[in-house]
Amino acid sequence: MIDALQVMINGLLVGLVYSLVAVSFVVIYRSSRIVNLAQGEILLIGALFIWTFTLGVKLPWGIGVPIALICCVGMALILERALFRPLIGESPFTVFMASIALLILLRGVAQLAWGAETRPFPQLLPSGAWSVGPFLATKRLLIGAVLTVSLVELLHWFFMHTRQGLRLAAVAEDHYTALSLGVSVRQAVAVAWIMGAVLSAIASVVLLSDQIVSLTAAGIGLRALPIALLGGMQSVRGALLAGAIIGVGEALASVYVDPFTKGVSSQILPFVIMIGVLLFRPQGLFGWKVIERL
Amino acid sequence: MLLPTGVRFESFATEGRYIHTWPQAMWLAALLLALVVVPHVMSLYVTGALTVMFITLMAVYGLQVTVGMAGQINVAQSAFMGVGAYAAARLSGMDAPFWLAIPAAGLAAAIVSIAFALPAIRVKGFYLALTTLAAQVMFPIIVLALPSEWLGGTSGMAVEPIEIAGRMLSTPLDMYYFTLAGVLICSVGAFNLQRSRFGRALCAVRDNELAAEVTGVNVSYYKVMAFFAGSLFAGVAGGFFAYYIRYVTTENFNLLLSIWYLGMLIVGGLSSPLGAILGTVFITGIQEAFHAFGGALLAAFPNLGGGLVFATSNVILGICILLALIFEPRGLAHRWSVLKAAYRIWPFPHS
Repeated sequence: MIDALQVMINGLLVGLVYSLVAVSFVVIYRSSRIVNLAQGEILLIGALFIWTFTLGVKLPWGIGVPIALICCVGMALILERALFRPLIGESPFTVFMASIALLILLRGVAQLAWGAETRPFPQLLPSGAWSVGPFLATKRLLIGAVLTVSLVELLHWFFMHTRQGLRLAAVAEDHYTALSLGVSVRQAVAVAWIMGAVLSAIASVVLLSDQIVSLTAAGIGLRALPIALLGGMQSVRGALLAGAIIGVGEALASVYVDPFTKGVSSQILPFVIMIGVLLFRPQGLFGWKVIERL
Repeated sequence: MLLPTGVRFESFATEGRYIHTWPQAMWLAALLLALVVVPHVMSLYVTGALTVMFITLMAVYGLQVTVGMAGQINVAQSAFMGVGAYAAARLSGMDAPFWLAIPAAGLAAAIVSIAFALPAIRVKGFYLALTTLAAQVMFPIIVLALPSEWLGGTSGMAVEPIEIAGRMLSTPLDMYYFTLAGVLICSVGAFNLQRSRFGRALCAVRDNELAAEVTGVNVSYYKVMAFFAGSLFAGVAGGFFAYYIRYVTTENFNLLLSIWYLGMLIVGGLSSPLGAILGTVFITGIQEAFHAFGGALLAAFPNLGGGLVFATSNVILGICILLALIFEPRGLAHRWSVLKAAYRIWPFPHS
C-alpha cells in the first residue's frame, strides 16, 4: 500500500513538473492561437542557453540564468518578427505548418550551434529527497511542483483577471475579430512567445537540473503535448490537473503493467489518453467548446 | 488553363484530360524516355538517389491526397510508410511474391491509418494532426516492443529480394526500373484521383466543411477515407522501400522524415500532384547538392563532425518551408504554371 502511494506521489510530482511544459503550450495557444509543435525545441534551446551562461562561460547561476532568460526573450522576439507576424490572420493550417517547419529549423540550429554531444546540466536545484513520514519526495521535483503550481496560479490570474490577459482571449478566438476590436495581435503574439520561451526555460531547469542535456531533450515537448490537450488548450489550470492525472497514470503503468509489456505501456499511455480525449471530448477537460454558426 | 488556338472540346471528358495537344504528349514521352535512359548515362550513385526519390515521391503523393486535397494535416506519413515496409518484409519472409506483398503493404498502412483518423469524425484542424503525431511517436515504441519473432524487434527484419520470372532483381539498375514502374503507376493513380468523384469530394471537405456537408458530402467518411487513400500510397512506398533497402528498421521511419515529406509537399504546392513532383525533385536536388558539397566541406574541415550535413539540411528545409508559407503558399507548382503561361503567350505580357 505504501509502495503504491509512493509510486503515486512520484508520478504526481513528475506530472506536475511536466505540466509546466504543457502550460507553455497552453500559454502560446491561449494568447495567440498558435499551436506550437516546436515547444520541445524551444525548451532545448532554453536549456542550452542556461548551460552556456552557467557551465559554459563559468558564471555563477545567479547571473547566468537571468542572462539565459533574456536570451530566450530575444529568441521569442526574433521568432515573432520573422515568422509569426507575416502569418497573422492566416489559416490555422498554415500556422501549424510554420510551427512544424520551426521544429526542424530549431533542431538544426541547436545542432549547428551547440553540437550533438551530451552535456552535464548545472545543478540549480538541490538533489536528494525529503522524507515525510514513510514517504520520500525528490527535492528537485517537489520544488518544481510547488513552482509549477504557483506559476500556474499567477498565469491564471493574469489571463482571467487582468485587462491585458482578457484581451488575449480575443486573439485566441480569432485574429480578425481581435484586430477589429482594437487588440494588437502583434503584441499578443510577442507576449505569447516570450511567456512560452521563458516558461519552457524554467521547465528545463526543473526537469534537467543535475542531469544531462543533449538534443534528445527536445522530446520532452512531445511528452507534454498530451497533458496540454487533456487539460484543454485554453486552460492553464487544466494543464495542472491533466499533468497530475497523466503523471500518476504513467507511474502506475510503469510499475504495475510495464513488467508484462516490456516497458511500453507507460510510454504510450499519454498518447492513448490523447487519442481518447480527441475522440470523446476534443476540447479537453477545461477547454473552450467552439460553437460554429453559419 | 491556357491552351493554344484551335483546341476545342466536345465533351466534359475530353476537357478533363491532362494531355490536349500533341506537343504535350511528345514532352511526356520525352520525359519517360529520359527516365529510362538516365541510369545508363549517369553514375551508380545518381541511380540510387533517383530510386530513393521515386519512393519518396510515392509517399508525397499520398500526403498530397490527405493534406493537399482533403486539408487534413498528417505528420505520420513516415510511420505509415514504416507499417507498409514491415508488412512487406513480413510477407516476403513468408515467401509471398512482390505483387502480393506490395499491395498488402499499402492496405496494411491504410488500415492502421484509419485507427488514427477516427477522431476526424469529432474534431477538425490541428487536433487531427495531433493524433497522427501520436501515431508517429507510438510506431517505433510498439514495433520495438512486439515479440522479435513478429517484426524483428530491435534488430530489424531482412527482406528477400524480388524474383520476376525466375530472375532476381539484385542490381541497382533492376531496382531503379522496378521503382520507376511503381512510381508511374502511383502517378497515374494520383493524377486521376484528383479529378474523380472521390477527389472532388475531398476538395469540397477542404474548402468548406459545412458547405460540403450541406451539399451532401459525408464529411466524416471522406475525412477518414482521405487518410485511407493517403496511407495507401505511403504503405506502397514503404513496400518498395523495404525491397530496395532489403533491411527494415524503425530508424528509417522517424518524425523528421515525416516532416521532410510534408515540407516537400508545401514547397512544391499542395493543390496538385504536380506540386508533389516538383517539391520532391526540388528538395531532393537541394539535399543531394548539399550532400556532394557537404562531403567536400567535411573533407576540408574534418573536425566539424558528421552531424553537420544533417543539421544544415534540416535548417535549409525549415527555411524553405517557411519561405514557401510566407511568400508563395501555392508553391512551386503555381510558379511553374505562371512560367508556362508566360512561355505560351510570349511576346505578349498577358493574354
